[in-house]
Amino acid sequence: MALRLNLYHEVLKAKALKRRDPLKISVYGISGLLACFAFYYFFQLVRMHSISEQYGKVKWEFDQLEPQAKAAKKKEEELNQLASASAQVVKRIEGRFYWAPLLAELSQAVPREVQITRLGGEITGDGLRRCALQVDGLAAGTDPRRVAEDLRTAIADKLSPKYKNVTSTFKTLEDGSETVMLDGKPVNTATFAITVQLYVGEEKKAGPSRVKK
Amino acid sequence: MKLGKEEIQKIVLGGLLMLGVIYSYFDLLLGPLTKRAEQTQVSINALGPEIANAKAQIAKSHQMEADAPKDTLPMRQVEAMIPEGAPVAWFPTRMTEFFKKQNIDKASTRMTGESVDKDMPGFRRIAWGVDLPKVEFVPFGQAVAALENEEPLLEISAMQIDSSRDDVEMQHAFLTVNNLVKQ
Repeated sequence: MALRLNLYHEVLKAKALKRRDPLKISVYGISGLLACFAFYYFFQLVRMHSISEQYGKVKWEFDQLEPQAKAAKKKEEELNQLASASAQVVKRIEGRFYWAPLLAELSQAVPREVQITRLGGEITGDGLRRCALQVDGLAAGTDPRRVAEDLRTAIADKLSPKYKNVTSTFKTLEDGSETVMLDGKPVNTATFAITVQLYVGEEKKAGPSRVKK
Repeated sequence: MKLGKEEIQKIVLGGLLMLGVIYSYFDLLLGPLTKRAEQTQVSINALGPEIANAKAQIAKSHQMEADAPKDTLPMRQVEAMIPEGAPVAWFPTRMTEFFKKQNIDKASTRMTGESVDKDMPGFRRIAWGVDLPKVEFVPFGQAVAALENEEPLLEISAMQIDSSRDDVEMQHAFLTVNNLVKQ
């Protein structure tokens, strides 16, 4: 067996040591890792740029729309107010109390034996409206109280089909001191005051109730 | 293989360097970038519904504007019915002319009060007393009917008719009317 002498063993050992230098290996490792990190960071940067661009577009769109939306909201409020006032006007016009038909009904209910000396009326309330009438007059006939009573019931009968809750009551009914000529004959009289109450329209609907939180 | 002291030191140094690099990368570079990206994404997501709301608001407003002429027609008609100027300058004259047209020659109108209606901004209600000293019942009833038909902004709130002792054919009428006028 031939004897081999390695006269370079020190050089080789140094080379081997240099090859597996931990610091060098660490530097290589770190460099590789850094390259990976740099690539990933670049990828993230591109992604971030895309997101920023998207945000810029969205923000620009929002900045354009926001003033328009605010103006639109203001306009909507104005139009709502106008429409509400308009509806209120229509409601008011349509909800008026008409006196002419009432006068027509009353004139038809008064017989020839009765003279109305005073007629007063007042309408009050919103929604369901109350009309109070005061009819004063003079009834003539053989039984003037009967004539006045017939008038009172005739008023209620005439008005009931057209108005709600019609009531017709005597405030006063007294024998008159004077006689009048009716159909050429002197007849007794009675003075009366009839109070008539009636209702028109609909009761106002209650507003929405508050819900406790 | 046995590691020498110098090699161990180098391994530790390499490890420390590695840790430093990783820490710096995540904490100083990638971390803030990711955080900013997330925040931007959140902002984009938040703006989405706001843009949708704004668009819906604009569309709704456009629709309302398109419908406005129809919805506000009564209001414009009412405004056209009310003459310009102080009501006390035109309303009594208007009443006198109206009753004259109805063959009731004497009519005097006075303002008795006014009130603001909170349901109807831009308008106020004026109460007037219309005195008709000589009327016959039937023509008076016809005049009232005509008044109620021709003047939709006017409502008779009270009336009083008294027979006259001097002239049994004639009555004295007094109307309390409310009229809607511009503020």
